[in-house]
This record gives sequence, structure tokens and C-alpha cells, in this order.
Amino acid sequence: MDKKDAGFDRRDFLRAAAVAAAGGGALLAAGAGQAERMVWQIDPAKCTQCGRCATTCVINPSAVKCVHSTEICGFCDLCGGYLLPTAKAQDTGAENELCPVAALKRKYVEEPFFEYTVDEDLCVGCAKCVKGCAQFGNGSLHLQIKRDLCLNCNECAIARSCPSKAVVQIPLREAYRVKSFGAPEAHK
Amino acid sequence: MDQKPLIPRWAWTVLSAAVLAAVVALFLTGKPKEPGPSFRHDTSNFEKAGAAQKRFRETARFALDLANPTGIAATADGGLLVCGENTLLVLDAAGKETARHAVAGTPECVAQGPDGRIYLGMRRRVVVLDAAGAAAAEWPELDERAYLTSIAADTDCVYAADAGNRVVLRYGFDGALLGEIGRRDAAREIPGFVVPSPHLEVAMDPMTGLWANNPGRHGLEQYRPDGSLASSWYRAGMTIEGFCGCCNPMAIAFRADGSVVTAEKGLVRMKVLAPDLSLAGVVALPEDLGAASGEAAAAEDNAPVRDLAVDAQGRILALHGPWKAVLVYEEEQHAAG
Repeated sequence: MDKKDAGFDRRDFLRAAAVAAAGGGALLAAGAGQAERMVWQIDPAKCTQCGRCATTCVINPSAVKCVHSTEICGFCDLCGGYLLPTAKAQDTGAENELCPVAALKRKYVEEPFFEYTVDEDLCVGCAKCVKGCAQFGNGSLHLQIKRDLCLNCNECAIARSCPSKAVVQIPLREAYRVKSFGAPEAHK
Repeated sequence: MDQKPLIPRWAWTVLSAAVLAAVVALFLTGKPKEPGPSFRHDTSNFEKAGAAQKRFRETARFALDLANPTGIAATADGGLLVCGENTLLVLDAAGKETARHAVAGTPECVAQGPDGRIYLGMRRRVVVLDAAGAAAAEWPELDERAYLTSIAADTDCVYAADAGNRVVLRYGFDGALLGEIGRRDAAREIPGFVVPSPHLEVAMDPMTGLWANNPGRHGLEQYRPDGSLASSWYRAGMTIEGFCGCCNPMAIAFRADGSVVTAEKGLVRMKVLAPDLSLAGVVALPEDLGAASGEAAAAEDNAPVRDLAVDAQGRILALHGPWKAVLVYEEEQHAAG
């Protein structure tokens, strides 16, 4: 059989593939200009401090860190987020600290107020301090996904395992979701 | 001639079955990793502490047709006043609603004066109603930091607890501001109120002494009308004898024998302290108030008991916000009789 008589030869295939690739690339370029970048964030109003943020994130340590809204904090000596319930003394002794990795730091301000800050390099996002602060304090400590650490997975492993569906994708322009004094907590 | 297939049919069957089994197994066993004990915050043991010292029993529960109940007070005739969203309710001793008054705004606290007038602590001002519930006066508005959370009256004046400015205001019955009580003053050895959350309370004891809680210091303070500190008592701790968390006790009320009823948030419980402030008995524990850990309500609201009062019959009245009800407690021997 003469090769010129073949219906669809190799050259035709390569031409078709090039056209398809060019068309697809044009479509992607057009789409990219319009789509808003979405990021994963935790809604503090829905978080139940289950601890899965620390164990479920695909990176280790987790991209979830504790953040502190100092405008809500009471700067308490007996801090429910810093001290173990069984603490023998209200001081910085390791045996009294609630945080399993000593990521929460306590500093004397003036009688009887203390300032609490989070060392993000140590924090693993376990929410133990968040739970203590929510139960005994004002709830100024809460968890949030750090965008500089988060890989922004298409399907977030934490979102999939969160029992309260607190991990949601929001437009980048709405991040970060941090608690503030007097602001409504739930984001519907 | 037919060629032999590269992979025989039986091998395809086995391969497909293996892939299917793997997919099913992964789907069924793909549970999220649960955090270990070092990541868990568990206070359930503390919730049971004090069960052996329970001396009171819930004998009645008055359901309220009221959105967002905030304050309760006992009246001289044995009834109750309950305030909430845009409303003041008047109840009789059996909890039956006898009157309902509309209020512009949500009062945070309520008290009855010696002449029967009703004092409502709105966030930044005091509103006065006459004994029939009609508007009588509105006292001057306070600054934007003010947050009135409790109000009490004796025969001479009205005391309003301002949690925002961390001070107790002393008013005359005409609304004139006579003075402030409790502001930090090293010269007079007044430590100052520590109020991390809006739970500053005032109450009159049977001898008409003025008491206030100091929630951040975990105790009670008694003041004279001139603002000098008469006595103070603090006890921080998770045990039943002490007060835990950032701000407890968050509500107080006195009984006729001089003992004081306290309500706490966080580790939600109510107890009675004797006149020497030792533990006299437990009224209710977290499980009695729907606040045991693990209960969804506990996570939503860590201060379900909004206010306390003691009525003319000596019954302890706890205003439960989420349940929209007044819980009535009586001492065990009285309840049994």
C-alpha cells in the first residue's frame, strides 16, 4: 500500500497535538487571570480543639500554629492556657506548664499581670493551650494555618479529618482569620 | 493461528481482585490519626471533685419565656425579677410570670431597692423603673469603657459594679454619683479589681455590708461605704475549696445566715462558703448544669450560670442562660421536709 494514501499519519498526529496544546495553554492562561487564589484557614468559632491539626497535616511539624489575640487576653496570673490544672505553683517551672513543647512563654508585666507569647518554631498546633484558654479564660489563644508554611494542598488533610468542619478554603484577601475583641466569631 | 495472550486471563482476574481489595482496605482503614495523651487537655477529674460535699438539691426549675437571660434578683415580697433581651420579667415565688415590661436594650443586671423601685444596669447607665415597672429615671451615661455587670441597693444608696473600669460606683437614689469603690490605691491598701472578663459582682450581706468579688484574684472583698477595705479573702486553685481559671467567682449572693453562694465559669459549679469563707457545701457540679467536658454545650458557653440570687425563703436561685430557666436549690434537710 502507498504510504501517501494512509488516512491519518504521524505528521497529522503531531499537528493535531500541537494545536491541542496551544489551545489548552491559551485556555489556562485566560483562566488563571480570573480565578482568585484560595487558601486554607481555620474558623476559630468552629474549632473544637480536638488536636488533629498536629497529627494530620502532611508536613511535620504542622502548618497550624497557635496565635494569640492579646486584645482579648486577660493577662492573668492563673492562666488556663499556660498552667497545668494540677500546677503546684503559678510560675514558669516546666512541671507546671501545660504546653507539651514549652512553646508558650510567660513574662511578668506588673502585679498581677503576665504576658503570654507563642514561639511558633516550637508550636506543633496541638490546641492544648487553646482548650485551656477557651475553658478557663477569654479564648484569646486559638489555632490558625500559617500561609508561609502551608503547602495549600488541593485537598487539605486536616480539613478532611476536622470533626467540626472548621477548616475551610477562603479567598486570600480574607485571610488571616484571627479573633478580635468584639468581632463576631462565626464566619458563615 | 491464535497467539497466546501475554498475560493469561486468570492472572488478570487475580490482579484486578488484588487492586480492588487494596482500594477497599485503604478506604476502610484510612482513619485520621488521633492525638496522644500528651496533646489532650482533660479536666474531667476536677469536675467530679466535691460530689461528696453536696448539701443542696434542685427542687424546681422555672422555664423563662425570655431571650438571652442576663440577671436575676429576689424581691422583698418573695418574688423574682429576671432581665434579658429587651425585657424585664416579674415572677411569683412559684415561678409564674406575673408581669412583663419592655426595656429599650438588654439589661445586664437587676436589683430591687428598699422602696420597691427597680434598678436595671444597662451597659453604660442605670435605668430606674417604679414598683409597677414604668420608666422612672435614666441616670447619666458613663464613659465608653463602662460595662455595668451587677447592681445592688441598701437603705442609703445603690451600688453598680463597672467591670469595664474595674470599679464599684456608689449612687444616691437620685442618680448622683457619690463615689467610687475598689480602685487600686496603695496608700489605702486596696489591691484593685482584676477583671479579665465582664464578671464584676456586688452583693449585700444580711448586715447590709457591701461585698464584691475580685475575679482575677479569686476571692471576695468587703468594703465600707467610704470605700475603705474592710476584709478580703482569696483562694486560687482547682480544688473544690478554691476558685480556678482566669476569673472566679463570677457571681455571688448572700444567704440569711451570712454564708455566701458562689458560681464559677470554666469549671462550672456552685458552692456555699460559710461566714468564715470555708466550704460549707456544694450546690451543683458541671454535670448538673449541663457543663461537663465532652458536652457540646460546655464548648459553646463556659459560663452558663449568668447570675445568682437568694430569695426570702432561703432558696438559691441560679439563672441558667442556655437553658433559659431559673434553677431552684434548697438545702437537703429543707428539701426533704
